[in-house]
Amino acid sequence: MSASLSAPARTRRRSRQIRIRWTMFGFVVPALIVYLAMVIVPSLQSIQLSFTNWDGIADDYDYVGFANYTDMLTSGRFWNAVKNTLLLGIGSAIIINAISLGMALLLDRLVHLQGLFRTAVYLPALVSAFIVATIWKYLLNYNFGFVNTFLRDVGVPDAARDWLGDSDIVVWVILFIVCFTLGGNTTLIYLANLQSVPQELLEAARIDGAGKIQVFLNVTWPMIAGGVTINVTLALIAGWTIFDQVMVLTSGGPGFVSETMAFFIYKVGFGEYRAGFGSAAAVVLFLVVLISSAATNGYMRKREIQA
Amino acid sequence: MRFAMTRPGARRTLAVVATAGIAALTLAGCSGSDDNAGSDGDKTSIRFLYATGDETWNSAVDAIVTAFNEQSETTEVKLDPLPAGSDYATAMKTMDATGNWPAIVDMRDTVTYINAGKLAPIPTEVTSLLSDDAYGAAEDGNVYTVPYSALNGELGMNIVYNKDYFEENGLIVPETYDDFIALLDAIKANGDEPLATAAGEVWPSDQLWKPLAAPYFAEYSDEGGFWNAVVDGSASIEDLREPLQELLDITNDYVLTGWQSTADAQTTTLLVNGQAIMATSSAGLGRLNDINKVDPDFNAGMFIIPAKDGTLNVLKNSVTGDTAGGLAISAQAQEDGDEYDAAVEFLEYFYSVDGANILEEQGWLAPNITDADQVTHNTSIPGSEDFFGLLESPKLTWYQNDSSSASFSAFNTFFRQTRIEMQDGQITLDEAIEKAQTEFDKTVDSAS
Repeated sequence: MSASLSAPARTRRRSRQIRIRWTMFGFVVPALIVYLAMVIVPSLQSIQLSFTNWDGIADDYDYVGFANYTDMLTSGRFWNAVKNTLLLGIGSAIIINAISLGMALLLDRLVHLQGLFRTAVYLPALVSAFIVATIWKYLLNYNFGFVNTFLRDVGVPDAARDWLGDSDIVVWVILFIVCFTLGGNTTLIYLANLQSVPQELLEAARIDGAGKIQVFLNVTWPMIAGGVTINVTLALIAGWTIFDQVMVLTSGGPGFVSETMAFFIYKVGFGEYRAGFGSAAAVVLFLVVLISSAATNGYMRKREIQA
Repeated sequence: MRFAMTRPGARRTLAVVATAGIAALTLAGCSGSDDNAGSDGDKTSIRFLYATGDETWNSAVDAIVTAFNEQSETTEVKLDPLPAGSDYATAMKTMDATGNWPAIVDMRDTVTYINAGKLAPIPTEVTSLLSDDAYGAAEDGNVYTVPYSALNGELGMNIVYNKDYFEENGLIVPETYDDFIALLDAIKANGDEPLATAAGEVWPSDQLWKPLAAPYFAEYSDEGGFWNAVVDGSASIEDLREPLQELLDITNDYVLTGWQSTADAQTTTLLVNGQAIMATSSAGLGRLNDINKVDPDFNAGMFIIPAKDGTLNVLKNSVTGDTAGGLAISAQAQEDGDEYDAAVEFLEYFYSVDGANILEEQGWLAPNITDADQVTHNTSIPGSEDFFGLLESPKLTWYQNDSSSASFSAFNTFFRQTRIEMQDGQITLDEAIEKAQTEFDKTVDSAS
């Protein structure tokens, strides 16, 4: 068709397409400017600040080379935050996905009241992490909280613990609360994936004599591989950047024991007037998130192709 | 459409206008409308940032701001409270980082902000309302903070207790440190929990530590304070081994379980409910007022943990330096001009006799104003006689311990967390001392 157009017509068409593109670009520009100004430029500036001793308040600072990075890497506090972040990131990704997949399978089989149960499962995800954490803080209070009061009332007072003050368990308690908060979204994504699995494939497998587990492993699981990739990646990123729950529940304590990378960055950058040091930690966290997300995504995508 | 196709110039113009319009709308949306500050009708509206947490202080601020707004024809003060439980200094800095700095600020880490040019000098119209020893000039000769309460130093950092329980069990207020330990033992022997304390918000961990460390800090009072002595090498964190050991022993043997996650305000409830016989406090008269609000029938008393020789060592207020708190006017308000004038007008009211009486009515100890003799002190709060009695005690000794380093606040936060680690058994006393010294050398000493 285009071959039949004359040269001037082709030129007009080409110039029209260019104008349309520029117009479309014009519509994107405002959002792009805001995004560049609010996200990209500050992020790049963090790299520069990570080589300074800026306190975050004063106008001036000195360049200190890699001192912030060496201080950080030799700090036990930093490695404790890394350990917690890895535990919460990987732990929440595994637990959330396992429970959410199981929950989605149950919901998928429900004949009656599926909407009600779906809403019930999703409800915690509708409330902000800050509010959920605040509610849990009251529930888990050692002296006045519902959990310990219940345990004492039912005759097992020894089971009452300082859930948010016991350094041996506090990170696991945070992990539980994170899973509780993030599970709703993950369940819904799995449910949507399960409901899009072609029924004829499932029926064909059953006719061929496959049991429930075989149907799940050989048909359902490969078909929801895309959902698994998305959910694992999202859960990992959410785990790496956990902040609200730590801030509300423990403020990183007792001592430094429940600090995560994101909280550590906030604490040293804002609370201890070491914005340069905090920026260095932020750069490291960025690299951790980038590399782990890319690696996970790459592996999961490969699995999808094989499936 | 056809017309437009033949008018590329017009279309370009339309595209540019549309883009500009969207950009303007987007940026307008981003900037938002700040209805918390600026001109509000005929009045200049300013914000007052302060830390909540202590109910008496909350009600005092609310009362004086309400009274001021009712009588002022030119200014309206809006409260900008940062909620209890948050790390106020951190939240304050976060607010500064957003460029959203209020006109009046309840300051922390003062020197850092003075050095950064974030504070405006407070004019003589305000300072002339205060007694001369209630404020001090910074190195540049300007006054940047003025006190929000009476200069009773850390007299409010003490122990509140159940007076009825003491009377029923024949217990008396301790006169020496050994008496204090004997008191703890006696309560424990009765099968009761001797002491509630809090570390859920990190900063209340000072409430037990500082009275224990006071005798050791006081030794350096005439030499510029303990922390400056650590900088010049004549002292070290190792010198705090004994009070750290005392802190550890008291925590292990006498403190109510769950202190690691207990919030400061909850210790009042623990005391009133009888879950502990004594509780640590840093709010002084305010804590007694809070107890009275929670349970008007509760018979509360107050004492300071004495030194081994019976001395009551109390840190004197710092009117300059990084630990000097107080109210400040922001440089951002000064740039505005009208906001600065409004802030000055509010402070003039704050330090008037009317203002002082409003604060006292709420149970707050008004700042030391020049017309202090016209202020009516509130002695109706049960237990307040103990507080005022401490001021008259012959054993009361004031000491000073101002760090001249702007980096001290950063170390102080770290030191608190390190002590909590030690109290919690995560690290040993030796490790705590080493860790604190290393951090001090890295942050304070190197900066000095």
